[in-house]
Amino acid sequence: MSRTLDPRAWLVWMLAASLPALIGRNPFVLVATLLAVLGARAAWGTAPRVASWRVVVRLAVWFAAIAVLFNLLTAHAGDRVIAELPAHIPIIGGILTVNALVYGLLSGLALVTLVLIGTTVAAVLDWTSLLRLLPPRLTLLAVAGSVAWAMVPQTIAAYAEIREAQLGRGHRTRGVRGFVPLLVPLLAGGLERSFLLAEALEARGFGAQPATPPPWSRGQSILTGCGLTAATIGAYLLAVGQPLAAIVLVLAGSVAFAIGSRESRSALQIQRTRYREIVWARPEWIITGAAAVVLAVEIAVLAVDPAAFAYDPYPSLAAPPVNLPLLAALGFLLAPALVTP
Amino acid sequence: MSGAAAAVLRGVSYRYPERTAFALRGIDWTIEAGSFVVVTGPSGSGKSTLLRCLNGLVPHFSGGELGGQALVAGLDTREHGPRVLSQHVGFVFQDPEAQLVTTRVDDELAFGMEQRGVPPLTMRKRVEEVLDLLGIADLRQREVTTLSGGERQRVAVAAALALQPSILVLDEPTSQLDPWGAESVLAALSRLNEELGLTIVLAEHRLERVMARADVLRYLPDPGMLGFEGNLRDVMVKMEADFLPPLVQIARDRGWRPLPLTIKEGRAAVRRDRAAGWEPPSLVDSSRPSGAPVPRVEAARWTEVRAEHYEVLSGLSTGRSVHTSTHRPITVVRVSAGFNGTTVLSDIDLEAGPGEVIALMGRNGSGKTTLLRLLTGMLRPTRGRITLFGQDIAALDPAEIGQWAGYVPQNPGSLLFAETLRDELAFTRAHHPRSTVNSAALMARLGLGDLLLTHPRDLSGGERQRAALAAILIGDPPLLLLDEPTRGMDGRQKRILAGLLRDLRSEGKTIFLATHDIELVATTSTRVILLGGGRIVADGTPRQVLSGSLTYATQVNKLFGGEYITVADVYTAPHSQSWREHARLADADGT
Repeated sequence: MSRTLDPRAWLVWMLAASLPALIGRNPFVLVATLLAVLGARAAWGTAPRVASWRVVVRLAVWFAAIAVLFNLLTAHAGDRVIAELPAHIPIIGGILTVNALVYGLLSGLALVTLVLIGTTVAAVLDWTSLLRLLPPRLTLLAVAGSVAWAMVPQTIAAYAEIREAQLGRGHRTRGVRGFVPLLVPLLAGGLERSFLLAEALEARGFGAQPATPPPWSRGQSILTGCGLTAATIGAYLLAVGQPLAAIVLVLAGSVAFAIGSRESRSALQIQRTRYREIVWARPEWIITGAAAVVLAVEIAVLAVDPAAFAYDPYPSLAAPPVNLPLLAALGFLLAPALVTP
Repeated sequence: MSGAAAAVLRGVSYRYPERTAFALRGIDWTIEAGSFVVVTGPSGSGKSTLLRCLNGLVPHFSGGELGGQALVAGLDTREHGPRVLSQHVGFVFQDPEAQLVTTRVDDELAFGMEQRGVPPLTMRKRVEEVLDLLGIADLRQREVTTLSGGERQRVAVAAALALQPSILVLDEPTSQLDPWGAESVLAALSRLNEELGLTIVLAEHRLERVMARADVLRYLPDPGMLGFEGNLRDVMVKMEADFLPPLVQIARDRGWRPLPLTIKEGRAAVRRDRAAGWEPPSLVDSSRPSGAPVPRVEAARWTEVRAEHYEVLSGLSTGRSVHTSTHRPITVVRVSAGFNGTTVLSDIDLEAGPGEVIALMGRNGSGKTTLLRLLTGMLRPTRGRITLFGQDIAALDPAEIGQWAGYVPQNPGSLLFAETLRDELAFTRAHHPRSTVNSAALMARLGLGDLLLTHPRDLSGGERQRAALAAILIGDPPLLLLDEPTRGMDGRQKRILAGLLRDLRSEGKTIFLATHDIELVATTSTRVILLGGGRIVADGTPRQVLSGSLTYATQVNKLFGGEYITVADVYTAPHSQSWREHARLADADGT
């Protein structure tokens, strides 16, 4: 196994790649993003965990297909009518249009693109390193988070084993109650594993503190809390279609959080150390640089031509706008393919 | 041994929270620095509790009431908890999966040192040292999920050693490993003990794995009882036969003194006996069944009893009729299978008849569990055909196959979910409406008669294993598939399971047994299939497959050679009471 990349590089790439699918439905932009992500994913496809996320991608494709069908059957709007279902049929009764089909397809495309971005990063990211990027004050939280992450594959394997065991007993999962024979052993087994893990952590000195960390000052607490709140509101604004305000808030919130959780000089008495120093080298520069270019172009386009991301097939179907600089910039998302392990 | 004490326990008693009975009572124990101590005894006798007293998990983590005094590395465990004691006591747990806390091997080794604030330079040096000590340098950057059980346990030992403890405590570290994985871990421990003088305290059921390496044996007979300790020969003379390895059982029977601790010493004793004119009985004329092919129940006679039952069952679930009177329970024809793009089994051909107990053996990853999953329909072959009573299982879903093939997974916790054992049986029965098995009789037969209203999670490990078996047997499947059924069981529990398997065999059930437990295979199976490289590399009676094998020979076979594989094979006369007792309980079935 070669060196894993600094997780910050992947996070910047993820942000740049996700933005188009989060804020618009322009088919050219979506397809360009999807192709770039598929290229990067194919180049990193040998990473051991990529295969384990295939099931999530398959699920996303299923959901996307359902979304297309749902939109086609329920939208009843647009100027290109394909067929008409009797109006007395609840919900699906009415005209079926190409417009609805196109909007459904674009929504599905955005969903699959986002899932591909998320699963690619989840597969290649070194989660332990990521959590260890948290400030030293949050070390215990970081370790607990990385330990919890390490339990995910065990839990997935346990669920598969339980499902098979109950199926072999003749049990088919039907309805909510049908999950009881699956979830009870999963929860009970999870508790047992957690108990054993807690014992193992205690036995290995987890939580031992050579020095007492100083308490948080009121200013630090307020700044950290404000930062987290701002970032959360920013995420909400992004979801409701206010990308510029969202980006400003997320950036401001992150800065406030970083300053608030920074250690004072006395806090450096905490002697916990790190075995694996995170290395920032050429591959990290390439991915981050390329993603930064994409982000800069995206923000610039948002400022001067926000319609470049958008496309609305209602009420009439028209050609989507084309923004060549944006499409060209999205090609930079292929940068991870240049630095494969 | 240096003679100094690594740990001293004085009158230690312990009771878990909300329990009335003591788990430990009045334990006085001195562990010499540099010694290799083995703790053994029945499941539930307090071995794990005693070990947890050494690093302060008892009582700091578990709560409860601790009496007496435990001094470890000079520190009173009442005043110093596991976080402090972790500098002096390394602890390795039974489950190789549950104790690794990071995703990468080198991160795992550094974890404890990071918690202690060891400088990075020192940390990197120590990581290199423990990688070399345990011979796992090639695993340095591997993801822990890709490691075998043996590799994981060696990583756990290395992680414990990285903090440079003076005592290493291990709670049944090899119970879930194949013989090679176990040997790799134990060999590493021996080296650490002999070359570095590390004090090792190890709980273990399978004494044959450790008795040549240990200096001291501590035996805990039952919960709350004092037990006794001393050098291995002295202690094993007084122990119950159920918990002794075959070599020592025979030695006690033959009156060999001193008791041999290695096969080499045992062979010397055999040579002395033979020189004196003694020979084990000839197997040619022997009527003993152990390891011998059991006469198969004639298919026609067996199905006379069952044909109607299963035809009705199959008709109910699939609308198709299965002619059990003319077909074998299992036929596997040129089957290949795998997952995640990897081929695990290739071109497997196999037939199984009623009344056969077929042991599937092979190293971890050889395809034993994959074969069981194929037979349950959970995994579909990439090539070939599997028939169940003549019906291609490709046409059946796993729930339908479950009507005929009962599968008991490695972990009984995967199966048990109800509030009581009675509800658990009722759940299976609801899916097997034609089963006529009587719940009370079944539970009594499994030794669980008094536990019908008990919550399955309150049972001991062995009881839970039998409860899982009961939850399957209540459906009366003619085919039984057991995956590592003796995992974590003590000798007494294994004897009960072996007796049950023989009973089921005599009723005409076909049983597949995926296991590493060579002694269990020798005493219960009628046929052994050895898997290797994705193929069947040997298929024959236990005598044919286990005899003379470099890795699968039983202790008896290593001692006497030929086709002798069980203690009963060489039993000649009742030399002692303990031997008669053992022979009656463990191996006399069917004689």
